[in-house]
Amino acid sequence: MMHVALVGNPNTGKTSLFNQLTGTYEYVGNWSGVTVEKKVGVLRSKKAKMIDLPGVYSLHPISRDERVVTQFLLTESFDEILNIVDASQLERNLLLTVQLLEFGKPLAIALNMVDVAERRGIFIDQTKLAEALRVPVVPVVARTGKGCDQVERMLLEKVTERTEPLTIVYGETMERAIDRFIATWGTEESFPVRWLAIQFYEGNSYVRDYVAEKLPEATWRSLYEQAEKEVKQAEQMSLAQFIYEKRRSFVKQVIEQVVQRTEIGRVTLTDRIDVVVTNKYVGIPLFLLAMYVLFQLTFDWLGAPLSDLLDAFFAGPLTDSVTAMLEAIGASEFIRALVVDGIIAGVGGVLVFVPQIFILFFFISFLEDSGYMARVALVMDRLMESVGLNGKAFIPLIIGFGCNVPGVMAARTIEQPRERLMTMLLTPLMSCSARLPVYALFVGAFFAAHQAIIVLFLYVLGVSLALILAKLFSLTILKEEASVFVVELPPYRMPQWQALWRSTWDKGKGFVKKAGTFIFGGSVAIWLLSYVGPHGINVNMDDSFLAMIGGVLAPLLAPLGFGTWQAGAALLTGFLAKEVVVSTMNIIYHVPDVESLQGLMASHFTALSAFSFMVFVLLYVPCLATVATIYKETGSRKWTMFSIGYALVLAYIVSFVIYQGGSLLGF
Amino acid sequence: MVAMTQLRVGERAKIVDLSRVSDLVKRRLLDMGVTEGAEICLKCTMPLGGPFMIENCGQCVGIRRHEAMNIQVKPL
Repeated sequence: MMHVALVGNPNTGKTSLFNQLTGTYEYVGNWSGVTVEKKVGVLRSKKAKMIDLPGVYSLHPISRDERVVTQFLLTESFDEILNIVDASQLERNLLLTVQLLEFGKPLAIALNMVDVAERRGIFIDQTKLAEALRVPVVPVVARTGKGCDQVERMLLEKVTERTEPLTIVYGETMERAIDRFIATWGTEESFPVRWLAIQFYEGNSYVRDYVAEKLPEATWRSLYEQAEKEVKQAEQMSLAQFIYEKRRSFVKQVIEQVVQRTEIGRVTLTDRIDVVVTNKYVGIPLFLLAMYVLFQLTFDWLGAPLSDLLDAFFAGPLTDSVTAMLEAIGASEFIRALVVDGIIAGVGGVLVFVPQIFILFFFISFLEDSGYMARVALVMDRLMESVGLNGKAFIPLIIGFGCNVPGVMAARTIEQPRERLMTMLLTPLMSCSARLPVYALFVGAFFAAHQAIIVLFLYVLGVSLALILAKLFSLTILKEEASVFVVELPPYRMPQWQALWRSTWDKGKGFVKKAGTFIFGGSVAIWLLSYVGPHGINVNMDDSFLAMIGGVLAPLLAPLGFGTWQAGAALLTGFLAKEVVVSTMNIIYHVPDVESLQGLMASHFTALSAFSFMVFVLLYVPCLATVATIYKETGSRKWTMFSIGYALVLAYIVSFVIYQGGSLLGF
Repeated sequence: MVAMTQLRVGERAKIVDLSRVSDLVKRRLLDMGVTEGAEICLKCTMPLGGPFMIENCGQCVGIRRHEAMNIQVKPL
């Protein structure tokens, strides 16, 4: 089957075009060396596969995910390139296009956002553009799918056609350097060696590594240094800058031939929104208001009623019908207890949060697709800069309120390795929605009059500690590189329903999967441990294996105010997922409903120790899924262990201070 | 010729010198077409020494104040 690579600048509608062209797609692991998911889709006609590459401005990479495109060109086999070009930013987009044309693979251009360009007074003659670059050009509207049929037809027909690589003349000095490189390289490649030479001289780090594998260091260094010296002498410019300028003047010539401009002094809708959203005084309060509405919608106005419905369904009709069914088939008491007290209690306790999670992800996708997230990065940059991060790191933290797993993954957009790592390490301190049921249980029992304040305090505590630790880490273990911040602020767009639903589902499905897999298994295991003891089955719970395991931790937890085996066992199982703390307590205290559980807990906790316990649950360790994600994203066992270690130490210290301090003050 | 930080919000200017900007930031700015000779407009600034938002050919870019300080521009 034919393989088409989709390449383009960020924010050009690449994802929309990919979704329109491919009926289905799948993530097929990661690109080797980086944790960027490799997304492959099949065209609607089922005749070709399309590979989605990360959005890049140039082949010369800065961030880790940008290396993927160069790596792909050099090491993977594919047949054609589909280059999506934003008509309203033609110059910047064509700078990438010419690098792809120099590579010499058959290429077609999908020209997107022609309407936006025309509203700005930019009219592009598509026939002339196709002639100037000698490639087919098809206008598309990626958001609605207009023109996609034509793109697909063109991709399928074109492959037999032989294309010559584009040759831009880089001037005498540079051409001599290119010739020297080609002569030294010697061997034939499946791509033009001239392309390799140009990228090498431009300083493309991936190409340099590639060259360094075949040529001795002294050879490639002297090639580079000689060219650098000669260009500096002749042009008073650095090598990279000179190549960039030459390329740019080529693009400018093309644009002169194909673009007609009329002066339109119109204020766009984006301008008008930005006057308010990024206003010096209103920007931050407006962002906080947006967050408030988002959380209210998710947890209160919309999410809570839906969760309650689901909860009522699990506790009532589902439990009843399953019990009746088990009785009908004559299942033993053991099976009944396992299914009802273990699985339905455990898995159901997690599934009730699915509506809230999906609502939260829906709004987060909405903020991303509409273009507001980039503004959030801008508005929050000053605060983040003061702790050694940048504004882009704020986005993963917000997403972390929903679930830490996508929060950690969202750190990918951060260019700098140091800042990205720090963001991943700190995201678990954001109080995710799975911790909410734990708070709900305890504040209901001990702080009925001050519920909202206590929960708000826990959220604020998480954020404050994350900022303090960011400062601490950037002063100590992660201080090598300076923080960098450049952000593109794309025009606002009304997100498409289909795209929103797709990205919400992409983010949320992991949660459902988690409930079906290891929360299912975990619930069974916890229940079994509480059911079985050294002296047989169906033992008194105080004699169960769970009590024994929890009992080991109890003395350690005593200085924090909750030195019981029940607390120890709940915390241990909470590593699976924070909401399991509640499931475990449900199973341990053996009560029919939340109200009697809260009554029972008053004999095991005081208000102070309950508060200390909540703080501990907030901080103590990222859940298993988050740890797995941190490992996948950092690719480092050391940093993964660190994320667990520092959280445990932090939780212990903060809870210790709260409990001991509180006791001294007489609470 | 003045530093970009001298511009008033809404003022247009031509970029004259980017040589004092840090390499990584300069690369990103070049990628987005913000080069020497480009015409920009200062759209807004964030409080307490926060970032600047500039517009160039209809696209907006956010950069930090201390980088903006190193960009020399000529007001139009």
